[in-house]
Amino acid sequence: MASERAAFLTQMVEVLTSTVSFGERLNNMVHLLARNLTVDLALYFGLDKARETLLLNVSSQGPVPPHMRLEFPLGQGLVGETASTRKFTIVHRRQPGVSAANAPLEKLHPAYQTLAAFPVADDNFLYGVLILVDREERSLTPTERQGVQLTCLMLAAALRQAIVQEEAKKRIAELSVLFEVGKALSSTVELDELLERIVSTTAKVITARGASLHIIDGATGEPRVSSRYGQIPPECPALPPIPPGAGSGEPPYFEKGSTDAAGHTHYCLAVPLTFKGQLTGTLGVYDKFNPNGEYLPFDPENRQLLLTMAGVIVNAIENALTYQQVEDLAEKNERMVRSLTALQEISQVMLTSVQEERLQEIILQGLTQEHGLGFDRAVVLMVDEATQTLRGAKAACRSPANRNLPNLKALQVPPPEMIPVSDWEIPIRVDQGPLALAVLRKSSYHHHQTAKEPGLPPALEGKFAAQEFFVVPLVVKDHATGVILVDNQASGRPLEPERLHALQMFTTQAALVLENAHLYSTIETNNRELLLIRERMLESDRLAALSSLASGMAHEIRNPLVSIGGFARRIAKLVEPNSPLRGYVEVIQEEVTRLEKLLREILDFTGENLSYYGDHELAKLIEDTLILVQRDLDAYKIKVAREFALLPRLHCDDRQMKQVFYNLFQNAIQAMAHGGTLTIRTYPVERSDGLYAAASISDTGSGIPMEVLHNIFNPFFSTKDYGTGLGLAIAQRIISRHYGQIEVNNEIGKGVTFIVTLPVAKYCLVKDAGQAAVPASVFKAP
Amino acid sequence: MKKILVADDEMSIRLLYSEELKEEGYEVYQAANGREALEVVDKIPLDLVILDIKMPEMDGIEALRQIKEKRPDLPVILSTAYGEYKQDFATWASDEYLVKSSDLEDLKAVVKRYLKE
Repeated sequence: MASERAAFLTQMVEVLTSTVSFGERLNNMVHLLARNLTVDLALYFGLDKARETLLLNVSSQGPVPPHMRLEFPLGQGLVGETASTRKFTIVHRRQPGVSAANAPLEKLHPAYQTLAAFPVADDNFLYGVLILVDREERSLTPTERQGVQLTCLMLAAALRQAIVQEEAKKRIAELSVLFEVGKALSSTVELDELLERIVSTTAKVITARGASLHIIDGATGEPRVSSRYGQIPPECPALPPIPPGAGSGEPPYFEKGSTDAAGHTHYCLAVPLTFKGQLTGTLGVYDKFNPNGEYLPFDPENRQLLLTMAGVIVNAIENALTYQQVEDLAEKNERMVRSLTALQEISQVMLTSVQEERLQEIILQGLTQEHGLGFDRAVVLMVDEATQTLRGAKAACRSPANRNLPNLKALQVPPPEMIPVSDWEIPIRVDQGPLALAVLRKSSYHHHQTAKEPGLPPALEGKFAAQEFFVVPLVVKDHATGVILVDNQASGRPLEPERLHALQMFTTQAALVLENAHLYSTIETNNRELLLIRERMLESDRLAALSSLASGMAHEIRNPLVSIGGFARRIAKLVEPNSPLRGYVEVIQEEVTRLEKLLREILDFTGENLSYYGDHELAKLIEDTLILVQRDLDAYKIKVAREFALLPRLHCDDRQMKQVFYNLFQNAIQAMAHGGTLTIRTYPVERSDGLYAAASISDTGSGIPMEVLHNIFNPFFSTKDYGTGLGLAIAQRIISRHYGQIEVNNEIGKGVTFIVTLPVAKYCLVKDAGQAAVPASVFKAP
Repeated sequence: MKKILVADDEMSIRLLYSEELKEEGYEVYQAANGREALEVVDKIPLDLVILDIKMPEMDGIEALRQIKEKRPDLPVILSTAYGEYKQDFATWASDEYLVKSSDLEDLKAVVKRYLKE
């Protein structure tokens, strides 16, 4: 008996430890049990995963056809009760309630009488229930019972092992999938490539025909990125965002099957991608297939796998998105640095000049050169304050970088001239488009073809065309002095907003430099004027010094001259008329007279004489003076032609004025030593500052030689053998004291005309007005 | 005989004027500066004074002022190498202002005009 038991157990151990698959081993074991215990049937009911129902898995009769699949809920029937109590139970059909509770078993064995149930369990886990069925009403010997119980224990161990093995296998599969995914994720940081790999790997791992991935911005609802792989059946719905808690269990998922016209059922499965930020996404797979190409529904394992993958790829996608942002920023930064470097270099070059035109060239070079801002075309327009228009100053087009020159030098090469812009003239009004508006509003404009506002003003029609352009005002101290217009018309490159920022920075600098140049040129002009004034002042200083020297000397000489001359006259009276001494004395007399005359002239010039201002008729002054030269006019046979207009009286010093005419007449007479006509005209002259009286004195002499013409008003300049050379200098000085002018018209061979212009009394300032107030009783003219 | 004082620091001028005026029939006194001129005015009942302006010790302008104080009726002719003293109000008290010239005809004519009976 004992040897029988040992043989049975040996057989059982052999079966359970054989290398065939677990299902096979279970099968063999059930057969072995039925045969050894000589029962009709041995059945194994396995507890399902939900641990609620026991399903018939194995029967000693062979494979269980689908219609024979029996199941007992936990606690129902012998199977369910045994699973609940985990105790060996044997019942007979005739016992009350047995037949009803175990009715389903009649399908397998309609005439059963005995049912023996053994729990298949280890210390803490129930795997299933083993049932022995027989047509005889019988019992089991304790040996038989022990044998079966031992077998059940072994079976439980085997089941446990199988489950662990299964789980390990699944883990390995999962790990290898994750490894695949990881490999795919770590191979690149390029977002697009990464997404492609994610969807293709997902499809392959799940053995699906297609996969897709969508990421949307949770805050805005805008799609961020999406990627697809393989075939996505049109029957499958667009993947919705999956809310938390969707699907029957945790975590959420979305699953749907739909049948196409050909009768194929297409399945899709999707799980959410949960990011830390506001992004949400969906990872989906479509049409799982088996090696035979048949479509299959997705199972929970697929779902689990997809969820695991989603968890892993979220990080990678997040990284890639961050990386992309960082890269975008880096690129932006690099562009910024490039612009700043260019700007810095251009500013450096701009500081090399203070000439407005040169600066405009440098600015244009900076705008159009590749190393600079690299626009295709650039135009500088300046505001003309007087006419309230914008005028084209200079323009240039894009020039290839000069590789032979360092950047700083290249910027200094004048840019190639573009179209002429000097005839551009745009009224600064609100209806004249962005160019005028940039000046009026002191703001920049980015004009596109699609913009609703008007573009270039009508003034530029046929001169300049651009679909897209930037206009930036040149603003200094809140005042727009001009604008810069740039476009990329030739190359068709779009004008990115950052370029406008760079242009604005550049323009600020340019405006300052241009303003500096403008100020500099103003200063330069003022400086030149100051220099001129200084020179004139120095000149008058020199004259003053010369005057005081001459005056001092003249006075010192006058006393001895008076003595010499006076005594010479006395001697002359004493000398006999035919004495040779007479001639000598006369020479002394004449020379002294000449010297005295020279002294008078010098002292007149140096301003010794007083002014006697009064209202005088110009014609009368001229006539009075003519009397003084009448003797000479007669002597040289000079005719006098008069043409006097009726003029208001002049406020002037009559003696000085007579001196002027006297000097002019003397010159005229000397120019006509062989006779001629002295023509004197007076006439009114109207000027913006008032009414003037003019007198012209013309001779018919040979004219003043060109080489000396510029010297005639200089003191001490004389072409004559006699005379001091002060005549015209004195005349000019007197005239200018009267706020008048003296001009000369010289015609070689025909004669000279001097024109004296004097302001008429009422209309002019009187320099020495105080003199007129002197009481006549005290003052007696010599 | 009319009495004329010639005051001038230049001896040659005094001599020239004296000779010429004596010839015209005047009695001529001389002084080398303003102070001397005033002494003569005090002592002699003069009929006319010819005064130089630039003189040492006391110049002609001061002398003119004092002479006119003492004898407002006494004609004084300023005879000077300088024209610009005409602008000095003090000289306006004189009866005549003549710029010196080697031709004494003007001077003699003026003197004659004042001493005409």
